[in-house]
Amino acid sequence: MSETATGAKTSGGGGGGGGGGEITPGVKELREIARELLEAGDVRVIIGWEDARRGARPVFVTDPAEADKLIFDARCVHNLVTYLNPRRDHVAELGKIGLVVKGCDVKAVAGLLREAQLGREDVVLIGVRCGGVLEENEMPAAVTLTPDNVAPRCYGCDNREPALVDHLVGEPQPEPPRPAQTIDERIAALEDKPLEERWAFWTEQFSKCVRCYACRQVCPLCVCERCVADKTRPQWIESSPHARGNLSWNITRALHLAGRCVGCGECERFCPVGIPLSLVNRKLQQIVAERYDYTVSDDPEQVAPIGDYRLDDEQEFIK
Amino acid sequence: MSDARTDFEPRITAFVCNWCTYTGADLAGTSRLHMASNVRLIRLPCTGRIDPLFIVKAFERGADGVIVSGCHPADCHYTSGNYHARRRFAVFHDIMEFIGVDPRRMTFSWVSASEGAKWRDVVNEAVTSVRDLGPFEAYRALAPEAERLA
Amino acid sequence: MSRIGVFVCHCGENISRTVDVEAVAEALKDHPGVAFATDYKYMCSDPGQALVREAIEENDLTGVVIAACSPHMHEKTFRRAVDQAGLNQFMCEMANIREHCSWIHEDRADATAKAIDIARTIVEKVKHNQPLETIRIPVTKRALVIGGGIAGIQAALDIADGGHEVVLIEKEASIGGHMSQLSETFPTLDCSQCILTPRMVEAYQHPNIKLYTWSEVESVDGYIGNFTVKIRKKARSVNEDLCNGCGDCQAACPVKKIPSEFEAGLGKRTAISVPFPQAVPNIPVLDRQNCTLFKGRRKGLAKEVCGKCKEACLKGAIDYDTEDTFVEEAVGAIVVATGYKLYDIGREQPEGIKGYGEYGYGEVPDVIDGLQFERLASASGPTAGAILRPSDGTEPKTVVFVHCVGSRDPEKGIKYCSKICCMYSAKHAMLYKHKVHDGRAVAFYMDLRAAGKGYDEFSRRAIEEDGAEFVRGRVSRIFRDGDKVKVWGYDTLNGEQVVIDADMVVLATAMRAQDGIRELAQKLSVSTDEHGFINEAHPKLRPVETNTAGVFVAGACQAPRDIPESVAMASATGAKVMSLFSADELEREPAVAIVNENTCIGCMRCADVCPYGAVEQREICAVDGHVCGHVAYVNPGVCQGCGTCQAVCLSKSVELQTFTDEQIYSEINALCAWE
Repeated sequence: MSETATGAKTSGGGGGGGGGGEITPGVKELREIARELLEAGDVRVIIGWEDARRGARPVFVTDPAEADKLIFDARCVHNLVTYLNPRRDHVAELGKIGLVVKGCDVKAVAGLLREAQLGREDVVLIGVRCGGVLEENEMPAAVTLTPDNVAPRCYGCDNREPALVDHLVGEPQPEPPRPAQTIDERIAALEDKPLEERWAFWTEQFSKCVRCYACRQVCPLCVCERCVADKTRPQWIESSPHARGNLSWNITRALHLAGRCVGCGECERFCPVGIPLSLVNRKLQQIVAERYDYTVSDDPEQVAPIGDYRLDDEQEFIK
Repeated sequence: MSDARTDFEPRITAFVCNWCTYTGADLAGTSRLHMASNVRLIRLPCTGRIDPLFIVKAFERGADGVIVSGCHPADCHYTSGNYHARRRFAVFHDIMEFIGVDPRRMTFSWVSASEGAKWRDVVNEAVTSVRDLGPFEAYRALAPEAERLA
Repeated sequence: MSRIGVFVCHCGENISRTVDVEAVAEALKDHPGVAFATDYKYMCSDPGQALVREAIEENDLTGVVIAACSPHMHEKTFRRAVDQAGLNQFMCEMANIREHCSWIHEDRADATAKAIDIARTIVEKVKHNQPLETIRIPVTKRALVIGGGIAGIQAALDIADGGHEVVLIEKEASIGGHMSQLSETFPTLDCSQCILTPRMVEAYQHPNIKLYTWSEVESVDGYIGNFTVKIRKKARSVNEDLCNGCGDCQAACPVKKIPSEFEAGLGKRTAISVPFPQAVPNIPVLDRQNCTLFKGRRKGLAKEVCGKCKEACLKGAIDYDTEDTFVEEAVGAIVVATGYKLYDIGREQPEGIKGYGEYGYGEVPDVIDGLQFERLASASGPTAGAILRPSDGTEPKTVVFVHCVGSRDPEKGIKYCSKICCMYSAKHAMLYKHKVHDGRAVAFYMDLRAAGKGYDEFSRRAIEEDGAEFVRGRVSRIFRDGDKVKVWGYDTLNGEQVVIDADMVVLATAMRAQDGIRELAQKLSVSTDEHGFINEAHPKLRPVETNTAGVFVAGACQAPRDIPESVAMASATGAKVMSLFSADELEREPAVAIVNENTCIGCMRCADVCPYGAVEQREICAVDGHVCGHVAYVNPGVCQGCGTCQAVCLSKSVELQTFTDEQIYSEINALCAWE
């Protein structure tokens, strides 16, 4: 059992545990596996979560003795797969990585494998069984998930037993609670509005964008060496943060994510101006689900829908 | 309708594939099929080459409407370019509609090298519907400091 | 700095009637980057082209725009003219103000404004044109023909006669394919082997043809003009150089009851055998699965339990210890002519296909397929040409021929028509009637497809001269009833059910792609359709090419077809191959994609969408040699220039020359001048 600086005890194991309390068997197992991997030299660094004063935060454990820092609870919202981005040289330099992943996160690993950005043998994946995470994760200790505090994206989670992992720890967790308004319901509400209102809504949202590109930096699948938004000859995407340039940036981001986005929600969480990116991302998932019967999974053999085709693809919008 | 509207003639940029639609448009010309003069063609080798960014840029640059046209499925000169374009533009069409762009400003069509008449119809229908929708002021309003040239 | 010359054509009056061409030239004179602009009556004429050449020299032009007809008309003409003046031909483009402007509009002001827009747009594009060079790749003037049936043999002969070496590879022990199994061919009732065997011998003896039988394609590397093919020569157990085809080994072999593949299961062969007496080459193969000696070896017995063929062979050609060997051949073109196999009505079927339980799943002995009937009718077949029932060897007095078994039947998974069955069923009915004069031949058909030269007349002969009964309707059940085979059918023309107590039933089963065709197609980077047939490059205009440059296709492996068409296709591929070989180097338009290795992250999306397999993965090595990453690389010899790779590249790291992003951006920009 570890204590935070404030004296509050963390709880371990799957999300949804009460504040304080003992380390769950899941967390014990996680720490044990981490220790073993480091001692055996199978990995050079374990990237997981540790307790911070407010919330959990990513931790890089290189010393087996520090494996006890690792926790897992409903505050562990971060998608650590972003550290597998081959362009993050400083991480790659550390050596072989053991990564702690939730069911949603590990889908991003499958994406990197599909896109030849990673070899399966380059990473050891430690899956944790998750019952959902908080929307506001800056809690001193884990709290029980309720419809009001759960991250809306957790509802309907389809990867409760991740397959693409080398180890899977933790007890099976209850399903994440249904939020007061699901993302699908918010999208449906938007789609009920007339076109002009939707345009007004989105142009207002995108005009807030300051082009910090935090969404791009944190996305585990945004791994290009030179992003198209930074290309100047020609400059397809205006870099000026006016509504027109921002619209172009956000449309491009959306198109690049179609069929790839795993719904980890990090982009929205990071956006400093609060653009509801989860609505766009979820809408993209709905589009490929309806048109191409595609739902992103953690199977690296699954073929992404954009870049694939069927002879009888829908074409009702084509004359 | 205001006076400005009755004088309004939409500017439409068409992105067409070389082997089918461009040739179909040539055939429309050879057959002297008259049509509205608002459409300007940009030739691409294949619809597979057409990036949605072209359309976004066309709207930014003042197009009131766009047309994307290529070979019918199974007829692509390069076998599968149009299949990829089909998926790409299905997603683009849906997301643009979600964002609030009127899908009637974007016309997607398959026009083969022998369909001169179909090309004429696609052009005329696109021009009529975009004329009815009016200038795409909403897009221009996104960057109000810009001024119209010429 | 761009110095572009703009030439506006009157095209007689075709353009100038509607477009004020002088005004267009005037407007373009003021366009930034334009150094020279003029109009002329007929730009494509000799003086018109001379005008272009002079203007290039006098004005130091860096680019040329001809505002006239469609580039499909005259782009080559003007590029040639430009090249003659010493300016790179790819710096010349055409602005289409005829087909896309003067011919489709009436209002002069509108048309002129549009013509100016079009011309300006192309000027802006040309500012970003690159002085590209035609791509040249060397060509190995040898061809590989995969498949030694009639199509493969024809292709090999045509190419060999044309003076080039051909490697002909056949997976069976002899060439000849299914045509060697036929008794007579429609519409002439020519003896099949009589017309085929001379070709087979010619191919075998041709100095330019290198024949590998009992061999298969193991792997294919490279690209058009430069393929490396690895061939697996399967172990024959017989030394081809020593064997003289005497047949003593076959006579000595104690295992005599193996169902013969050549006889379609109706006859027997020995373990060491040639498929048929006229086999080319006449060198046997030892079937190690059924050979007593090899069975002993598999059991781990210490002593060899047989050796009769080796004893009998006076040339010492038998060697039980041979293994599969590999050879490599370098070729510049490949022809796929692997033919077909017949649909089997049995229970065991591949994914998506169903068997015919209604017809007994192939378990009723006197229900046979077309190739089996051919063997019965063949003078060299198991019954010496007599039509006899497989069950008891008696002569059938009533034979029912059922068309469309499998074909045109979405329920069974085969939607297409197999094209030849109406013809060969009519032939079978005729052959039967010629041999059993008092026999009754009844054919159940859906439609009669007899569309070739002499074909309809031939089918009619079966009815009018030979008395075959043709019933329009399908057969719902076939089953054994005592000694007979009961056939339940329906006559749709008179609306009555038909029940026939047949002695034999011949099913016209569908033509399907060969086993292993998908694996072969993958090795060649060609695609197959849902049925396994090889895809042609364009169904109408490029029927013998595939989408992989340098790989051609002939015969039934591309779609069900008859012998004359297969031969025609084979000769067509011969012409394509010889055209490919006509120069030492292959010239290609430089409309190819080039990867920017600095920004490419090697996600290989481009490779996934390339229809031609032109994109490879390439390792990037650091100075000290260790591999630090990988990127995509586009083979300029294979790339056909569609640009799909560029549209799927998220980082825009691949550029299609002649349609680059800069060029397209400048065109979009030019068309709508809103800043």
